[in-house]
Amino acid sequence: MNVQVASAVFFLYFLLLFAIAGYAVKRRSKGRSLIANPHVYSLSLAVYCTSWTYYGSVGRAATTGLEFLTIYTGPTLVCFTWWFLLRKIIRISKEHNIVSIADFIASRYGKSTALGALVTIFAVFGIVPYIALQLKAITYSFNLISSNGELTSMALQRAYPAIPEFIDTAFIVAILLAVFCMLFGAMRLDSTERHEGLVAAVAFESLVKLIAFMCVGVFVCYTLFDGFSDIFSQFLQTFPEKSHLLLLGDSSTPATKWFTMTTLSMFAIMLLPRQFHIMVIENSDISHLRTAMWTFPAYMFLLNLFVLPIALGGLLHYDGNTALADYFVLSLPLHNNESALAALVFIGGLSASAGMVMLESVASATMILNNLVMPLILRFNLRRPDISGTLLNIKRLAITSVIFLGYFYFHILGETEALVDIGLISFMAATQFAPAFLGALYWERANGRAAATGLIFGFAIWMYTLIVPVLVEAGWLTQSLMQNGPFGIEALRPTALFYLNNLDMWSHSLFWSIFFNAGSYVTISILSSPSSAESAQAVRFVRAATWKSETKESKRISKAPTVIEFIDLMAKFIGDKAANKAISEYLGDREIDEKGSLSEYEIPNLKRFTEKTMAASVGAPAARIIIENYLAARGSKMEDVFNIFGTVSLSRDASREQLSVLYDVANLINSGKALDSILDSVLDLLFRQFRFDLCAIRILDEEVNLLRVRSYKGLDSGFLSHADREINLDTCIGHTFINNKVVLANDSDCADMPTSLAIVRELKIKSFAHVPITVEGQPIGVLSSYSRYAKGIYTDEFIELYKNIAAQIGIAYRNSIQTVQLIEASEQQKQLKIAEDIQLDLLPKKMPEVDGLDIAGICVPAKQVGGDYYDFITYPQELDIVIADVSGHNIGAALLMASTRTFIRAHSRQMFPPQTTLSTLNGFLYQDLSSSELFITMFYLRYELQKNNLIYANAGHNKPLIYRPATDSFDQLDAEGMILGILPEVDFEQKEIAVDSGDILVLYTDGIVEAQNQFEELFGMQRFQDMIRDHYTKSSNEIIDIALDETRIFQGRRHFNDDVTIVVVKIL
Amino acid sequence: MLESTPYQRQIWLIFFFLGMVMLNFPFLQIFNRLETIWGIPLLVLYFMFGWPASIGVVYLFSRTLEHNDYNLED
Repeated sequence: MNVQVASAVFFLYFLLLFAIAGYAVKRRSKGRSLIANPHVYSLSLAVYCTSWTYYGSVGRAATTGLEFLTIYTGPTLVCFTWWFLLRKIIRISKEHNIVSIADFIASRYGKSTALGALVTIFAVFGIVPYIALQLKAITYSFNLISSNGELTSMALQRAYPAIPEFIDTAFIVAILLAVFCMLFGAMRLDSTERHEGLVAAVAFESLVKLIAFMCVGVFVCYTLFDGFSDIFSQFLQTFPEKSHLLLLGDSSTPATKWFTMTTLSMFAIMLLPRQFHIMVIENSDISHLRTAMWTFPAYMFLLNLFVLPIALGGLLHYDGNTALADYFVLSLPLHNNESALAALVFIGGLSASAGMVMLESVASATMILNNLVMPLILRFNLRRPDISGTLLNIKRLAITSVIFLGYFYFHILGETEALVDIGLISFMAATQFAPAFLGALYWERANGRAAATGLIFGFAIWMYTLIVPVLVEAGWLTQSLMQNGPFGIEALRPTALFYLNNLDMWSHSLFWSIFFNAGSYVTISILSSPSSAESAQAVRFVRAATWKSETKESKRISKAPTVIEFIDLMAKFIGDKAANKAISEYLGDREIDEKGSLSEYEIPNLKRFTEKTMAASVGAPAARIIIENYLAARGSKMEDVFNIFGTVSLSRDASREQLSVLYDVANLINSGKALDSILDSVLDLLFRQFRFDLCAIRILDEEVNLLRVRSYKGLDSGFLSHADREINLDTCIGHTFINNKVVLANDSDCADMPTSLAIVRELKIKSFAHVPITVEGQPIGVLSSYSRYAKGIYTDEFIELYKNIAAQIGIAYRNSIQTVQLIEASEQQKQLKIAEDIQLDLLPKKMPEVDGLDIAGICVPAKQVGGDYYDFITYPQELDIVIADVSGHNIGAALLMASTRTFIRAHSRQMFPPQTTLSTLNGFLYQDLSSSELFITMFYLRYELQKNNLIYANAGHNKPLIYRPATDSFDQLDAEGMILGILPEVDFEQKEIAVDSGDILVLYTDGIVEAQNQFEELFGMQRFQDMIRDHYTKSSNEIIDIALDETRIFQGRRHFNDDVTIVVVKIL
Repeated sequence: MLESTPYQRQIWLIFFFLGMVMLNFPFLQIFNRLETIWGIPLLVLYFMFGWPASIGVVYLFSRTLEHNDYNLED
């Protein structure tokens, strides 16, 4: 077969693969998936069998015997565990929207970005040699088939000398595979969707390689030889010295190596990135496992059935020459002139290689994008309106890079090794994930630090014990490194670490790498405890199987959110249509109560579902924070603080960066810090994220009606950063505030505002924007930003974001005002309580008992404590009555009243006449009263009991009344005198008046005569006098009760606006 | 959804460890001889029959899952 025919076969087959993938995608779009089938799933799993199996197994069998079997018996054993192991992994992955093995490990250990990146880097390093192996196999087989069985190089160049030397088969294959993967593996940016075309092609390739291999097996066994037993008999007769190939446990395959190989392959089938991808991510139905559990091992058995016969047949055919052993499968038909069979075998080999490269590169690209690129983008907040196109291109670039890394490895290092060795290097790399992975599933205490440390140790030793020897062999490092160790330290020889020199290199590498990997993982996990995020994930992963029925519904969310709220929330991030679709898929036939809301036990599930759905678009960590904060904010007084959902009106295609800024702002506002600190942080964020030259916040100062600068960040310019603004239309900020509208401008726009223009020009500001900060729609300030960049910075979308940020600031402002008010109110409350206590304490506890007098007094405090006061001082022959009213209703007033009382009581011994008492008191209180802007009205009366005479003085108080029933007349006790606290020295007039038996003396404060009804009518003196006249026969107490009742009836409510104090003295 | 009982899962695990033993030394030493049956070396024969047998076990067990499922529905 010449190069032309081989090339034609090659290209036609690729064309067929494209067609199959395209057809699968088309079928899927019609809703009839080609791959949602357990047998297709099983076939796709067979991507495990690469060209390493296809060509390499025979080579391995021909040189080392039965050892090749371990690579397949290991996975067969693992299949026994699939029903609980793989099933658990798939369940968890679907539950958490996991898209790669890096994602799985990162998610389990608290959604750790660092761990995801680490796994990705190691995985890519680990699989590059494996990809190189595939390219090597394709190149060799192409050269072989196009030169009729001679192992040559440059087959293409010999046929077409014009082709440049670097373009070999591997190069062309690499390009074709890259194109295929970009088409079917990176069509859209949604790694949660399965790759229909890719999987269909891989499953088809698995079928082709099995058929091709079985054909060549049958050909060798039954055409070249006379069945199985014939081959074995001939072999044992011809090569008795090679009989060890049919035995185990000798020097070529010691027991330890056998065990090592089995272990490696058991882990590789689960942990190689492509296997994880095809088994877990591309699994369309968990019940497919039931079939795959036995069909996949059966596939491997069939594929291996003819390996030994072909190997032995090859040895017999080539007289024991093993130079071509890796390609016996191809060379045997070629040398027997079976061109068609050879072409089929070539296609089978191509299938084995291509399938592996396709899946491995797509799986790696997904990891690179999600675990390396996305964190960087989020970290540095690359400001772009829509980065989905860029991300898709990054994924495509990642696919191409991974394939070409393999290509370069093949050219630089791959020529030196047999196929099997390269494959085992990758297996060993995948095995390093085992401790962290198994711990993730079954050990709750395991934590991320431990996993990361274990992985780093594992990979360091993997590099040292397997890659360093390859580099030495390639001549990159000196041979003495292997023999004497680095710097002559024998203990550190790469293949005899710590003098462990009686193991083969695989067992040696496995032992040390897993020893340090698992050792550090277990030790650190035991010594340190997981963070709360890790613990939460640990429970979700480890208890996954039983989790659904146990803890899932236990945590009730107070004040259950409705389905609609969840839809709204999701719609902010994934769009209305997608949100509604997702929710209807979720709800299905779930129970919904009559109000259209879910039962409260369904809410936690819905919460998880929402988080999962959003994780696909914003990443798991962001989704978790959003949901947690949303639910935490609901129902509390902070409900509208977390207004990212209330005020956000961003278009649904707003970029992740914008959402992330908005989200950060919401978090700042939610932080509970002081307003100024919040404003500073918000400006700081804006300043950093959008690279403004100046950001400022001005808040209305109502007292002076100015917009005062509350905070600024950036340029220190007098006018822009410091100067307050008057509220008029002379400045842009004034405009913004008055019109409550965004003002957006560039330097030429403020031509009618000369001051602004000059300053903006001077500072080289190219554009600026002012957005009103509002509270409940009313502007309370302005958020400004200035930029020296071109005008285009303020796109519509950006302004939307900007408005939302201003709205958040408004909320922060309102909250802070409310908080201040709340504190003030509670302070006031405390003060009032103290004042009330003092006041009540000052009032007489009981009425004095004086013969011939019926005395009663009452003080009814109004809602707010007033400053009324009355007191009695008894002497043997006299009775002093004081009634006073202090203006003001605070603790100061109460204290003044207290000192007034003390003063009066202290001076009572000296028996000063009322006028002297008042003037002395005025002098005593003047300083305090004037400095506290308070004053006191007071009436001081002395009753001379023997004489039935009253001596009194008045400091601006209501005039007391004397009702004389004998004449049915009222006397008002009036005396000249100024209110206490107005002047430092005041002279008070003192008067006297006689009383008779039956007269009634009434002292009162303004609370009673100034009581108002609903028509703002005063109770007034006339009603008060009528009341006294009507009830003069009653006791003092009764008169007081009636007075209070009538006043209350008059004003129509229970409570007085001001204190009401009445003292009634009835002369018996 | 197919479900399994804890009993079934334990059986899986037992078979897994049994497989580990039967596919490793020293168990393999039993067949590690150059004797042939029908012209085929003993060890090769062991794998040619042992391997499909283990697959058969998995197959039978995977069927019991379905059977169990029907019982549950009943």
